Amino acid sequence: MKILVVDDEKNILKLYKAELEDEGYNVVTANSGKEALEVFRAEEPDVVTLDIMMPDIDGIQVLRQLKQEKPQIPVIMLTAYDYRDDFSVWVSDAYVVKSSDLVTLKATIKQIIEKK
Amino acid sequence: MNEQEQRHDHDAALKAGAYASDAVSHRSTDAEQLRRLKVLHTITTSILSITDFHELLNNISMESVKFFNASGSILRLLEEGNLKVEACWGLCDDIKAELQIGEGICGQAALEGKTIFYNRSETDYVHPATESIEVGICTPLKIGDTLIGTFGLYDKMTVEGKTIPFGEEDRITLEGFASVAAIVIEKSMLYEKALRQEREAVSAKRQVEELKDYLQGLIENSPDAIVTTDLDGIVTSWNDASEKMFGFSRNESIGKFLPNVPHFLIDTEKSYIEQIKRGETLKDLETVRKTKDGNIIDVNINMAPIKNSSGKIIGISRIGRDVTERKRIEKDLLRKNNELSRLLFISSTMRGTLELDRLLRMVLTAVTMGDGLGFNRSMLLLVDEGRNVIRGAMGVGPANHDEAWEIWSRLSMENKDINTIMQEIELGPLSKDSLIDRLCCGIDVNLDDDTVLTRAVKEKKPFNVTDVRTEPLSDPVLIQQLGTMAYAVLPLISRNKVIGVLWVDNLYSRKPITDHDMNILKGFTDQIASAIENLRLFEHVTQAEQELENIFESISDLMYINGRDYSIKKINRAVAEKIGKSPDEIIRRKCYEIFHGMDSPWELCPHHKTIATNQPFVGEVDDPNLGGTFLISSSPLFDKNGELTGTVHIARDVSEIKKLKEKVASVERMAALGEMAAKVAHEIRNPLLSIGGFARRLEKRLDSDLREHAKIIVDEVRRLEGILNNTLSFVKSSVTERREVAAADLINDISTLLEPTVNDRGNVLSREVDHSVTLLINYDRFKEAILNLVGNANHATENGLITIQVYSESVFSEPDLLGHRAEGKEAVIEIKDTGHGIREEDLNRIWDPFFTTRPTGTGLGLSITKRIIEEHAGRIEVESKVGGGTVFRIYLPLKGGPA
Repeated sequence: MKILVVDDEKNILKLYKAELEDEGYNVVTANSGKEALEVFRAEEPDVVTLDIMMPDIDGIQVLRQLKQEKPQIPVIMLTAYDYRDDFSVWVSDAYVVKSSDLVTLKATIKQIIEKK
Repeated sequence: MNEQEQRHDHDAALKAGAYASDAVSHRSTDAEQLRRLKVLHTITTSILSITDFHELLNNISMESVKFFNASGSILRLLEEGNLKVEACWGLCDDIKAELQIGEGICGQAALEGKTIFYNRSETDYVHPATESIEVGICTPLKIGDTLIGTFGLYDKMTVEGKTIPFGEEDRITLEGFASVAAIVIEKSMLYEKALRQEREAVSAKRQVEELKDYLQGLIENSPDAIVTTDLDGIVTSWNDASEKMFGFSRNESIGKFLPNVPHFLIDTEKSYIEQIKRGETLKDLETVRKTKDGNIIDVNINMAPIKNSSGKIIGISRIGRDVTERKRIEKDLLRKNNELSRLLFISSTMRGTLELDRLLRMVLTAVTMGDGLGFNRSMLLLVDEGRNVIRGAMGVGPANHDEAWEIWSRLSMENKDINTIMQEIELGPLSKDSLIDRLCCGIDVNLDDDTVLTRAVKEKKPFNVTDVRTEPLSDPVLIQQLGTMAYAVLPLISRNKVIGVLWVDNLYSRKPITDHDMNILKGFTDQIASAIENLRLFEHVTQAEQELENIFESISDLMYINGRDYSIKKINRAVAEKIGKSPDEIIRRKCYEIFHGMDSPWELCPHHKTIATNQPFVGEVDDPNLGGTFLISSSPLFDKNGELTGTVHIARDVSEIKKLKEKVASVERMAALGEMAAKVAHEIRNPLLSIGGFARRLEKRLDSDLREHAKIIVDEVRRLEGILNNTLSFVKSSVTERREVAAADLINDISTLLEPTVNDRGNVLSREVDHSVTLLINYDRFKEAILNLVGNANHATENGLITIQVYSESVFSEPDLLGHRAEGKEAVIEIKDTGHGIREEDLNRIWDPFFTTRPTGTGLGLSITKRIIEEHAGRIEVESKVGGGTVFRIYLPLKGGPA
């Protein structure tokens, strides 16, 4: 099971990669919106976690692009701020507020993979 | 008698005189008497030889002076009772004055009828006429007893030049002389009279001859025909003008009965002759005569009797004048005058009419009335530019021959003039039901056709179709529907644009339409065109005025017009409603009283500012009196001289908007706060996440003290994250807040928002809402979901029907272990359209994000809708058929129903 983790903070990528690999997932990362699309096309992950606030292409646009290229791909929005009033994020499959406690994230990923 | 003979007689008389004076003193009485007779004879002979009366009298005076040795003589004749000096000798002029009988010496002699002696030395009174006279003798001149004058001698002189008185002898001689002289004078007077009469007769004869020549010339050269006849009408003279006028020569006419009297007038002519025979004169007979060519000409004739010298009527003179031309001109003039006055009247009446139908009726009546232009039938057709046709507007005329005769005879009996009829049209009821009117209104000719009607419009030219069978462009519709055989069409041109045509024909009278008719009609059509155009303009203006008035009245903003003096001139309904008074109670009152409840103009009032500056003013004014905030525009009104007459106000109650604005401002502030919060969260949460995350990893791998230390970091980060979450949720409104909303309110809201968009596409939005249904929803989000669905339905449908239905239905839960099903209720919101539907292969994909069949769609609408419904524990289903419309059904659990 391959998970693409997208975030502009390298420390966070490192943390998620370590934690999710500990859970037994194959984890690939991208450091920006642009890289996210490249990695997504190259690695064909099964699940994507996506930060919203990124300097080049923001997470909403990346989400739009990903769903257009591959409508079935599950995308989990993983952000520092609760954007759920923004209808655009509603088309993602799940929404998780970042927290140093990764329990919610891990549970959500598990749920999505099971649903698939 | 010649001059020499006269002198000889004179000399002879002098010799006789000298001889006589000697005889007075030296000779015997017989000799004296003889001498006297000789002298008398000499004088008589000499005076009798004189033919000229005045010369005779002068001669008598002169000869007697010599004979009596007097200084002067004077001969007076009685004329009209006075003694007038006819001849004198040797006397100064001042005694020649006329004397009355009894006045002076002569007057005395005439009065007494005998010879008078005069001697100044023996007289007390001296008449002014005889002042210069010393002595005199005067004797009356008589024929029988009739006095004809007097003859006096004055101042008898001796040879020595001494004045001596006249003696008795002198009296006898003078009386003798006077009796002879009187006879001579009388004879001479008779002769003179005869001579004068003869001269007068000669001169009269000459004058008659001249007159005759003159008359002859006049007759011959007269431009009038002058013909004389005898009493049987046999021509006796025939002048040049007669030859010219009637063509018969003098030779052909004289001796025959008047050749120029037409056969049918011979009896009349004879009756004229009878009248003349009775001595009457016939003046200005307007009759006709025939010419040699057989033409009949109009003449004016004067007939008078010719009388002979004894006054007996012996013939007749006729003076005739050819008045054909004059008559023609007269007729022309009369007709032109009539036509002009009719046209003037009609056009002035037309201009006074403000209804198109009445105007058209007037025009057509004027064209068809006998007293008007006198056509049998006429129609007006107007150009409809929008449809590119020319269409019948109105027709006037009888339906058939019988009706035509009926109308004509009635009109001639009623004897109504055009004036009356026009007034009847203007004021009376307007019926539009005649056959020709109905036929006319059915006429609709495409302007692309090539016919007389369309050519009249396109070429702006009148056409006179004299025979429809020979005119290839004749309008079939006119021939078929109106049975016309010949007609004329004239364009109605106003401002260089053809607005219609006038059509006329003479179906019943078969009278050909002449060039003259066409000219009259042409003059008339200009009037019609401008009258119609004026009327149309008037109607446009009236309509525009009405529209403006309607807008003014129905506009929801307060609109009112103020005069310079702050009095209110005009208000719309909104003002009356806002103030709560009727317009009558508001108009003419001061605006500051009505609107602001003040006694004097309000400083903040926009009207006040506009009056002061002549500039428009727009501003928001808080008016405590009206209880709200108003956006007021005040614009100056100027009259045509540029003088400010007042202002027009538009005031909008913006109290509500103001509140909304405040709300928006607060939301914006919140949003800004939210954005800041997002930034803070990002900047703090991310490092916290790294710290906390890695601390957790360390905690798992470390032992004893170090593990304890790592745990401290983990706990502290969790605490910080907690603080952060709390802080952020303070600035964020809860997204999951729900409340109870009546389904009807929700659908009302949605309809209000979408109705204009729906109507734009020709769709109808229909609602069937069960008012008892109450939903527990997050209002804004749920509204978003329904808006998406109705919006989609509208996009899929054109000129169709969109129905929103809300109802509730019972549902049963899955059977429990005992096979019981719990009963609950669900609300169903159904959005149905009659649009193009969804293809079967797309039906599964519509919920996918970014799936769209519209080029400009985002593809998010249905995904978001589905997510919102699911958030509310509901579900959504779709049913669709290509070409058969689509139905979306939303099921929401109601209170007490299965969750």
